[in-house]
Amino acid sequence: MSRKSWAISRREFFKHGALGLGAVLSPSLARLSWAASKERITIYNSSVTDTLNPYNHSSSPIYGIWQHIYEPLVEVAYNPVGYKGVLARSWELKGNRWLFHLRQGVRFHDGNPFSAKDVVFTINRIRTDRNSLQRDNFKDVVGMQAPDDHTVVFVLKQPNAVFLDRVQNRFMVSRVAAEKYGDQVDQRAIGTGPYKFVSFQRGGDFVMTRNDNYWGAKPEIKEVIVRRVTEAAARVAALEAGQADVINNLPVHDLPRLERNSRLRLEKVEGLRMFFLALNPAYKPFDNKLVRQAVNYSVDANAIVKNIFEGSGFVLNGPLGPHVIGYDPGHKRYPYDPKKARELLAKAGYPGGVEVKLYFSAGRYPQDREVCQVVGAQMEKGGFKVELVNQEWAVFWGTSGVNGGKLPFYYIGRGSLVDADTLYDQYFRTGTTKRVSYSNPEFDKLIEEEQKSANPKKRVALLQQAGKILMEEVPFVPLYNLADLYGVASNVVWKARPDEKIWVWDMSIKS
Amino acid sequence: MGVTRYLKIWVGGAILFALVICGLAAPYMASYDPQEQMLEHRLRPPSWGGGRSGAHWLGTDNLGRDILSRIIYGSRISLLVGATTVILAGFVGCFLGALAGYFGNLTDEIISKVTEIFLAFPFLLLAIALMAFLGQGLLNLILALMLSRWVQYCRVVRGEVLSLKERDFVVAARALGGRDLYVLLRHVLPNAFASVTVIATFAMAIVIIAEASLSFLGLGVPPSIPTWGSMLSEGRVYMYRAPWLTIFPGLAIFITVFGINLLGDGLRDMFDPKLRGQR
Repeated sequence: MSRKSWAISRREFFKHGALGLGAVLSPSLARLSWAASKERITIYNSSVTDTLNPYNHSSSPIYGIWQHIYEPLVEVAYNPVGYKGVLARSWELKGNRWLFHLRQGVRFHDGNPFSAKDVVFTINRIRTDRNSLQRDNFKDVVGMQAPDDHTVVFVLKQPNAVFLDRVQNRFMVSRVAAEKYGDQVDQRAIGTGPYKFVSFQRGGDFVMTRNDNYWGAKPEIKEVIVRRVTEAAARVAALEAGQADVINNLPVHDLPRLERNSRLRLEKVEGLRMFFLALNPAYKPFDNKLVRQAVNYSVDANAIVKNIFEGSGFVLNGPLGPHVIGYDPGHKRYPYDPKKARELLAKAGYPGGVEVKLYFSAGRYPQDREVCQVVGAQMEKGGFKVELVNQEWAVFWGTSGVNGGKLPFYYIGRGSLVDADTLYDQYFRTGTTKRVSYSNPEFDKLIEEEQKSANPKKRVALLQQAGKILMEEVPFVPLYNLADLYGVASNVVWKARPDEKIWVWDMSIKS
Repeated sequence: MGVTRYLKIWVGGAILFALVICGLAAPYMASYDPQEQMLEHRLRPPSWGGGRSGAHWLGTDNLGRDILSRIIYGSRISLLVGATTVILAGFVGCFLGALAGYFGNLTDEIISKVTEIFLAFPFLLLAIALMAFLGQGLLNLILALMLSRWVQYCRVVRGEVLSLKERDFVVAARALGGRDLYVLLRHVLPNAFASVTVIATFAMAIVIIAEASLSFLGLGVPPSIPTWGSMLSEGRVYMYRAPWLTIFPGLAIFITVFGINLLGDGLRDMFDPKLRGQR
């Protein structure tokens, strides 16, 4: 080849170069100007399901993802707080029976109609599935009937005033599909929801597409991609680069910078997640009340909220936030007093201090690693020697961890808490779960009474009494509620819920 | 003449020496306990950069710990891990390499195959796999790095020994009735020492970076021990808000590795007769 044929005038070089550069940049420029579109929305969430079994978890943000595909009978509405029917049209409490009247004309994604038989099938599966982490919600159910296709009756051991709370977040699967596909049915994820399942990779993307035959209002956005990203910095970077349209758990320290970015906006809501340190009395040294109180005296939640969360949180005075049913303004949290903590430890038989391990799952909650480092340092002053143990979420939360009753001391948050009963029953009542293994007949009795009581005033009084016992016995260290922070592309119209559920059918795109 | 000729060795050696002093005298040089959290003082910029507190020369981190003190204490881990790994890997590698080169045949075959298996894995990947298997801890860290590092010595020493054992003075020693071990230790290995020293110096730099990488990934020592790598890892979240959290540990790694590489370069120049002639 001669040298000549390579020659190209400078003008030509720039012309072609500019064209090429433009071709390369134009899609990315278009992406920058409109971060989100009606075609597809991408959500980077710190918490995405680990399996396709919809019952193998009990976590608010993951309920939020599943509800795109599967639907519950009822859901919680905020402002004002109350229950709203989804697949149930109405419900009534008759003695120890709960009746649900189902919505008619609802079809599963495979075209089969939704009926009362599916409800009975679903609840039975939740109770018997080996991997189910939701079965304790129905431990009082002694019988279920489907008198016709659109009515379901639950027969309970005794009247239960909080049964709706047990029924929310229980997603209805298809009985017909289960019979047809056997143990492969979860891989198909056939529900009644506004979105249909497309694909899922463990630790990767959860992809859904709009259900055009949905019984309710049709969502505006066609495709949804939910990706698990536990690194806060990575979520923020993706949001700024336009790769993600919505991210959760925005780190507080990035707020000043992100607020200046005109392509983004911030969604802030006072979260319902109640953060605490669980102290399991089944393990030494936490079997001793004095030691548990010593932990309470040595943790300074105010300093954590003020510094680590830069004030964007609310320290609890007791087990509950002020908006929760059963809240008691009369509680006082244990003051930060490391000297008192050391005295109590000495009294409990640990004059030289005691070694404990604090378990957590880094990336699950905002700044959790830092919180645990600070708690560790604070407790050292109170006479404890703290070793931090970070575990993968699936290990931490599963039967080898919290839900197997294997962890003596861990950092956790109970999400979407609107009624004290949820927390008290799940964590502190004898035998409901193994999460804390605390057992107190007096406390159990109060919970039983409260659940039977249809009178709201009486219920609150009973819950407050139960709260007093918890604050004296302290199988936990109450910490704080946090402000939930979301980063959103500026053209996405969406209002964040206080329960960490991100619902794409609630979103629309400003054009 | 002497100083300029060995400038690299002088500068590199000085940096390494300063670092060793830092590590040894850490409790006297650091003005704070590296683990002490002062939440009220968190994210303070370096005092010479307009920070209000003159007390923190390089500022404080996200939990209000003094960065200078943490870097000083962190040098202990870097040096300890670097030096121990290089020495241990050196012993293992030289021993096996000498055996392979000197005895040849089946011994050589077996040892060479083993080294090839180790070489098939990228260094850091092997170290990560070993750490994941062994679990966190200082000893495990050294062990993992040593296991992924000895091969290089082995290959070089084997090559050296192969050529040395044919040389007249070795043949003579054998002819005079010297036993294998004696000949190997007395006549062969001392002549391979120059190359080993050079490899060891470069290896130390690589190991320090590897230690920082593993700590960065959370696979190194437990979080209660400050290391440069874990400082980088914890600080990167605050890259925009407080860049000094990552800049200074990064600089510490950079200067250390630079110094050690300089030293290695200088040593190579000194030992290499060809380069010596050119100067």
